[in-house]
Amino acid sequence: MSFLYPAFLLGALAIALPIVLHLLRRDVAPEVPFTAVRMLRRSPIERSRRRRLQDLLLLAARVAALLLLALAFARPYLTSASGGGTLVVAVDRSFSMSAPGRFEQALERARTAIGQASIGERVALVAFDDRADIVSEPGSGADALSALNGLKPGFGATEYGPVVQKVAELGKGSGGTLIIVTDMQRSGWTDAASQLPAGWHLQTVDVGGMAPNVALSNLRIEPDRIVAAVYNGGDAVRQGQVRISYGDRQIATGQYSVEPGALTDVPVAVKVPTTGGLTVTVDDPGGIPADDTRYAALGTSQSSVAIVTGGSQRQSGFYLERALATSSEESDGLAARTVSGSTVTSDSLSSQSAVVLLSTRGLTREARQAIADFTRRGGGLVLIAAPDLEASVVSTMFNWDPPLTVAEHQGPLSLAVTDIRHPILRPFGALTANLGHVQFSRSWRIRPDGWDVVTTFSDGTPALLERHEGNGRVVIFASDVDRRWNDFPLHPAFVPFTIESIRYAAGERRNPREFTVGRAPAETAGRPGLHTVGDDKRLVAVNVDARESGLERLSEDEFRQKVRTEAAGASPASALQARQTEGAQNFWRYGLVLMLVALVAESVVGRVS
Amino acid sequence: MPTPATRDLRFLDPAVIARLGTMELKARTVVEGFISGLHRSPFKGFSVEFAEYRQYMHGDDLSTLDWKVYARSDRHYVKKYEEETNLECHILLDVSGSMGYRGSAPMSKMEYGSVLAASLAFLMNRQRDATGLIAFDDRITFRLPASARPGHLHSLLLGLERLQPGRRSDVGRPLHQLADALVKRSLVVLISDLLDDPEPVIKGLKHIKFCGTDVIVFQVLDPHELTFPFSGSAKFKDLESAEELITEPTAIRTSYLRELAGLTLTYDRALRGGGIDYVQLDSSQPLDFALLAYLAARSRRK
Repeated sequence: MSFLYPAFLLGALAIALPIVLHLLRRDVAPEVPFTAVRMLRRSPIERSRRRRLQDLLLLAARVAALLLLALAFARPYLTSASGGGTLVVAVDRSFSMSAPGRFEQALERARTAIGQASIGERVALVAFDDRADIVSEPGSGADALSALNGLKPGFGATEYGPVVQKVAELGKGSGGTLIIVTDMQRSGWTDAASQLPAGWHLQTVDVGGMAPNVALSNLRIEPDRIVAAVYNGGDAVRQGQVRISYGDRQIATGQYSVEPGALTDVPVAVKVPTTGGLTVTVDDPGGIPADDTRYAALGTSQSSVAIVTGGSQRQSGFYLERALATSSEESDGLAARTVSGSTVTSDSLSSQSAVVLLSTRGLTREARQAIADFTRRGGGLVLIAAPDLEASVVSTMFNWDPPLTVAEHQGPLSLAVTDIRHPILRPFGALTANLGHVQFSRSWRIRPDGWDVVTTFSDGTPALLERHEGNGRVVIFASDVDRRWNDFPLHPAFVPFTIESIRYAAGERRNPREFTVGRAPAETAGRPGLHTVGDDKRLVAVNVDARESGLERLSEDEFRQKVRTEAAGASPASALQARQTEGAQNFWRYGLVLMLVALVAESVVGRVS
Repeated sequence: MPTPATRDLRFLDPAVIARLGTMELKARTVVEGFISGLHRSPFKGFSVEFAEYRQYMHGDDLSTLDWKVYARSDRHYVKKYEEETNLECHILLDVSGSMGYRGSAPMSKMEYGSVLAASLAFLMNRQRDATGLIAFDDRITFRLPASARPGHLHSLLLGLERLQPGRRSDVGRPLHQLADALVKRSLVVLISDLLDDPEPVIKGLKHIKFCGTDVIVFQVLDPHELTFPFSGSAKFKDLESAEELITEPTAIRTSYLRELAGLTLTYDRALRGGGIDYVQLDSSQPLDFALLAYLAARSRRK
């Protein structure tokens, strides 16, 4: 039960008044000298007891009347008015559940949970790993049990956020219970605390910790060797072989020996081919099979980035170019080249994933059109606020309405990162605070009309913004990257920040060669292995998320702390929903009627006594 | 026959008596007021001591006519004689703590009982009867042997004036003591609220009666004890035992009054059955009823 105006419940404190009066009245019985108290004792005292009972009845009637009045004003309503509420049973199907016997155990627990649904309670079944799917819509328990039999563990990693999100979609306007059957892996909570709708309760069913398991966590491909990172999740030293296959042929093997709980690099000398795909497997009898194999697609997958400068200023883009150079050696790194604005053409951008625009000076009409077309076709454009970048020119390029409006600001500022879930900032994790050390002396004050603000400066003005333009994405940073307006290039965070910003802007134009199961292209069907995807038939490797092999688990209390329950009427939508529900139920009328009944009862009892 | 309405009740009203000074004055007022209301003097009767002549009135016994006077004066006169007495009266006054209770009456029960005792003593003294006083609670606290000497009444009244409410009452014990001490037939007047256990009281009174002594019992009760008019929750505290009881008077009034009626009925049946006069007195009511009861008992002795 929820209340539309819970503040009125404070009125219930008024019940203290009759209670106090009752107690005081009892205490002030005056002393009366008398001679025949012995005869009073012999009188049937039941009458006196009956009087006390009448007093209690009077007190109860008065207290009930006050309580009912307060309740009526608080406007109560049932959040699960459509019946007995909804029971959502969410079963963890991540690959950590594929250990022998574990998933069967989870299914049994889920069956028990479904069987405990009360009469009238609708039952829904959700299966989740890194995404949550409704396997059985809210309905009868039999449907849910039937759907449960078809569940199998997958290759995804545990993520609890989508489950809660799915319940939030299912449970709008009604209450219920969410039962999550899982192995309680800590890595499943990547986001901040999730929020269940009002009237929902969370229960967890723990199927136990990870069984002894060896996992192949990572591969590092070098020209003459492959380094396999082997993780031992058991409590005893594990030994075995690392096998490397190219196509169907095993080309090398190595021995591993890993201490309990340790992650060990196992180098295997092999002449690595330049094309095709590798399959690397470790021995793990009795463990989880999914994390024993990793795949690697060979060859380059680097994205090209054009840094467009004003041409005349040779120093412009220096720090940026050096920062991007650090990733050029990675298989999915960024290969940057600096070009003058006057030399930009559609052809020169066709092979690029992203363009970083440091200056609009010298940009020819054709260059402006080429950049706009490039962006609309899916390219990434990163605008860096600088003295040489004119907002009006950029607005004209894209015909933005309202146009990009900026004003230069002088004064010390720092970055104030609030949303670490954004893809640009997510890799920083707990190190996000380092961005706050950067000192900005000048910046742009950008009116965020039509833009999404990613992060702000310490005075609340936007620092990093984004917007979609056609199929592409535009990201704008409100200060420069050449140490003229800040000391950002001198900070270690500069390199990952610029790389992630450009990668994010490039989006689908990037051509990564390796994916985790949850983020793999649709053609891979979410299965680990080597797949050919895209129009260009490029080979990509899909691997399971190594975090899923982690041993860290959450206690039930910790798990609950990750999930908040939305207060009734907390959001405008839910407040409207609550008002509609309350309006349909009108329990307050019954409260007032009952209050009148209590008052009549009080009057009758008072008259009798 | 005299009727109560013809008597002057002003001097019998406890509210008036309570304002009077000494016990003697109170007793005199009561007795004189009582006597003035009577048409026939209680002092007249069959005796050897001549008192006066009175003109014959219709209804007078012809045997009392003095024929010699008729012969001399040709008028009918009757001879009146002063009655002689050999009556010995013992007044037992309960002075226990409960007798000190005063509810809505002008006097406490003990004051009322004292005035009654004084009035009786005064009346007896006028009739030359020997009068004694015993005051008691759970033991005898004051004792004045019966005597008809002229100064005895003063001593008795003085003793009554000095009485104070005492401790718990035990009526039976002094009754047995008195019964053992009585050597000749006499009259015993017990003035008490009789809120004790009735059994020992009745046994004691029957003991006295068994000795051939006439007994009159005056049960003095306050109007509050008779009607229990209390309302609202109250903590009743016993004047003798100090025991307490918190209760709702309206809830137990009926049962209390039933209990009191049962006690009264017990005394009435047991005492009347034993030839003992039992009179219940309301301490707010005039004393004439008590004195009439005494005279009725006195006349029975003749």
